[in-house]
Amino acid sequence: MTSDMILPFYQALTADVTALAAQVTVPSTDAVQSIRRKALERFTAMGLPTLKTEAWRYSNIQRYLKEFPYELLNNAAPVAPTVAQQAAIPELDCYRVVLVNGHLQADQSTLPEGKGITIGAMSAYADAPGFVTYFNQQHHLETESLAQLNTALFADGLYIELAANTVLDRPIHVIHVYSCTAHSFIQPRHLWVLNRNAAATIIESSVHPETTAVAFANSVVETVVQENAELWHYCVQQGEDSFREVSTTAAQQFKDSRYHHFSVTLPGTPFTRNNTSVALNGSHTETNLNGLYITNKHQHVDNHTFMDHIMPDCNSNELYKGVLLDDSNGVFTGKILVHQEAQKTNAFQQNNNLLLGSKADINSQPQLEIYADDVKCSHGFTAGQFSEESMFYLRSRGIGEEAAKALMVNAFSHDITDAIHVPALQHFLQEQIAEIMNN
Amino acid sequence: MINSNEIIDDIANKEYEFGFTTDIEMDIAPPGLNEDIIRFISAKKNEPEWLLEWRLKGFAAFKKMEFPKWQHFEMPALDLQAVSYYAAPRKKKQLNSLDEVDPELLATFEKLGIPLNEQKALTGVAVDAVFDSVSVATTFKGKLKEMGVIFCSFGEAVQEHPELVKKYLGSVVPHTDNIFAALNSAVFSDGSFVYIPKGVRCPMELSTYFRINAQNTGQFERTLIIADDNSYVSYLEGCTAPMRDENQLHAAVVELVALEHAEIKYSTVQNWYPGDKDGKGGIYNFVTKRGICKGAASKISWTQVETGSAITWKYPSVILQGDHSEGEFYSVAVVRNKQIADTGTKIHHIGKGTKSRIISKGISAGHGDNSYRGLVSVGPRADNARNFTQCDSLLIGNQCGSHTFPYIESRNKSAMIEHEATTSKIGEDQIFYLNQRGIDSEKAVALIVNGYVKEVLNQLPMEFAVEAQKLLSITLEGSVG
Repeated sequence: MTSDMILPFYQALTADVTALAAQVTVPSTDAVQSIRRKALERFTAMGLPTLKTEAWRYSNIQRYLKEFPYELLNNAAPVAPTVAQQAAIPELDCYRVVLVNGHLQADQSTLPEGKGITIGAMSAYADAPGFVTYFNQQHHLETESLAQLNTALFADGLYIELAANTVLDRPIHVIHVYSCTAHSFIQPRHLWVLNRNAAATIIESSVHPETTAVAFANSVVETVVQENAELWHYCVQQGEDSFREVSTTAAQQFKDSRYHHFSVTLPGTPFTRNNTSVALNGSHTETNLNGLYITNKHQHVDNHTFMDHIMPDCNSNELYKGVLLDDSNGVFTGKILVHQEAQKTNAFQQNNNLLLGSKADINSQPQLEIYADDVKCSHGFTAGQFSEESMFYLRSRGIGEEAAKALMVNAFSHDITDAIHVPALQHFLQEQIAEIMNN
Repeated sequence: MINSNEIIDDIANKEYEFGFTTDIEMDIAPPGLNEDIIRFISAKKNEPEWLLEWRLKGFAAFKKMEFPKWQHFEMPALDLQAVSYYAAPRKKKQLNSLDEVDPELLATFEKLGIPLNEQKALTGVAVDAVFDSVSVATTFKGKLKEMGVIFCSFGEAVQEHPELVKKYLGSVVPHTDNIFAALNSAVFSDGSFVYIPKGVRCPMELSTYFRINAQNTGQFERTLIIADDNSYVSYLEGCTAPMRDENQLHAAVVELVALEHAEIKYSTVQNWYPGDKDGKGGIYNFVTKRGICKGAASKISWTQVETGSAITWKYPSVILQGDHSEGEFYSVAVVRNKQIADTGTKIHHIGKGTKSRIISKGISAGHGDNSYRGLVSVGPRADNARNFTQCDSLLIGNQCGSHTFPYIESRNKSAMIEHEATTSKIGEDQIFYLNQRGIDSEKAVALIVNGYVKEVLNQLPMEFAVEAQKLLSITLEGSVG
């Protein structure tokens, strides 16, 4: 599966399995080591994705993997507190967690405290009950070779567990700082568990300090939303030119739970791939997957989602909207799988795109795979332009062409931004969008 | 109200009504696939050297290829060496009129309701009947000839119009296209050939009737339709096969070429033997169909009603090369028992201002598995291209599956693409509404299904729309949701 082009990198990854495994002994319980070994075997069997891998047919990751000789980076370089500050969201009243290359920086973080709240480095909690029960249990991870690579080689990440009935009073803002002096391949791994009736809001942002060294983050977040729990999960992606990202989010939902996922990708990082998958292990759940991508230059953004309706009476909604400027490429793949037992499923999916750049393109694969009959499922896709009438309406009222465009993009993205339930984050993103369109 | 399980059983037990066999003297080549058999077919058909070479090229390509793995069903084990690649009703002598056709054969087509008899052909449809692999009779030849329309068997076209065949054969579906097209290129035995000259509007529907009769044979026909500038043709194919325990392969290739301002309308009512209720037997319908709108403002429209075959696996496609050309795809695919359908279309927008419309209606019942797989691609030159796609699926019973796998690729910012897909069952409220107006549940379902597929059936020529409607109601008899 792996082409010759990236063979050196692939060889470096797989050549000395034991040496690699030895490098990453933390967290080091036997169970974890055994999971890592299996993952490494699976990764070596699958290889790195190529354009012939169906799930990657529109995203040429090889181009970025072969760009430089990457080093696997598993430790944290010291980073000044001002770096994390760059990702701060104005007026956001929140707890803050700063991770450098996946390693928790306690001195720069303000962690939530209190009864029922467990938060800390993954390496410190390999024995925690939540970790033992849920780590690497979301079965979708098995089909993605880069997620397997992460499982095999991750060094650390953020572990959060909320005990039953614990409701966080403020959002947690997780700031991922990727810092390196040589071109690096970084594998952070996180696990967030919300037990029964717990509720939390987690906002992720990332910063890559301006350097000439390129950071490639291959991160995996596993979230578990137990009975009647509710998780709002926001990912804000505004990287730099020297950053590439494959971000995998694997969620599991149980009875009566609610999970709201937002990924907002703004100009910056040349290559972003978001694998978002949700396994519905309980009935009467609600899932909202929202995505907004506004891309420019030669940016490539790929949102790959998988809604796995395993149990009956679940509702899911997916809405992904894209504004493609300049020569940028957008990819959307959304799969809804409804198992035979999952009767009374309502699953909806929508992908709308505005192609504004002369060489912008979009590839979309909305998929329905349905084995139950009493369901309502639909997907929709559009790609096109502003309607001429709306444009004319605005122009006839004395609004300049650029301003009118900005206004329309703002309106187009409103469906997503309006659903954001943290006002500070909502204002922040709306301003960012306005700024992008005004430039 | 009838219990829905009983009804599903009813559908499962419904017999295939075209399952009879015809006893007729046949020329059958020994089973096996090799160069000799290709030479044998070519010699039997008295083909020119270039065609034999083309066949051999196809065979060489075939040998290099492997069966695809991306389809949404388990690929059956195909033993291509056990198949006989040539079966033809034995010709006693050269036939001049229908009176000389084997009466047994005529009786068969009579049973199928195909009006081969010219006096009966008041329906105004010219028919080319292909029995196993060989075209046995073509009606209305004289009348068509007056207008310059060529409608004959493929073998005849090779003899009489080699320049046209040579120019267009393989120009839309090259012999290297896919493994089944390569196989067909190597061993195709006959099929239909149509040429509509410039400015001619073909005065009647052209129709080909395909019938697989002999055991252990595959049917590999090849259809080539060329519509020259400003011409119009509507073409229909129908297919049946006897009931047999083993699976039979049907790997046909259809190529359509529409030149400037020409229009081709191609309709299929496919009712090959679907196998019994346990999925035993039935036809593997692996067909490559593709049309090219070569000239400006040309149009190709595919309409298909797929109710038969154990596995239907085909994607009638349109390449919109000419500026302002137009492609359409209307499909109804019904699966029940253990039938599988993996079908859809590919539309390539290359020229400026090209338009396409895709309407696909899937109905799954019993243990059937129905997939829509399609591609809409818009190239960088296709300014102002427009596509609308709608694929709906209806599920009857909780053992069936329905899937949609569309691929959408847009490389042009002025293109407008819309795609929507829905999956649902027949609503209880809809049935209730009809019930309370005195319509029983069974009729209500028929009514709802009819309404559901109407958009597609409306595209069929009238006579066939009626036939297709009957076929659908037979297929889905008693399916109350």
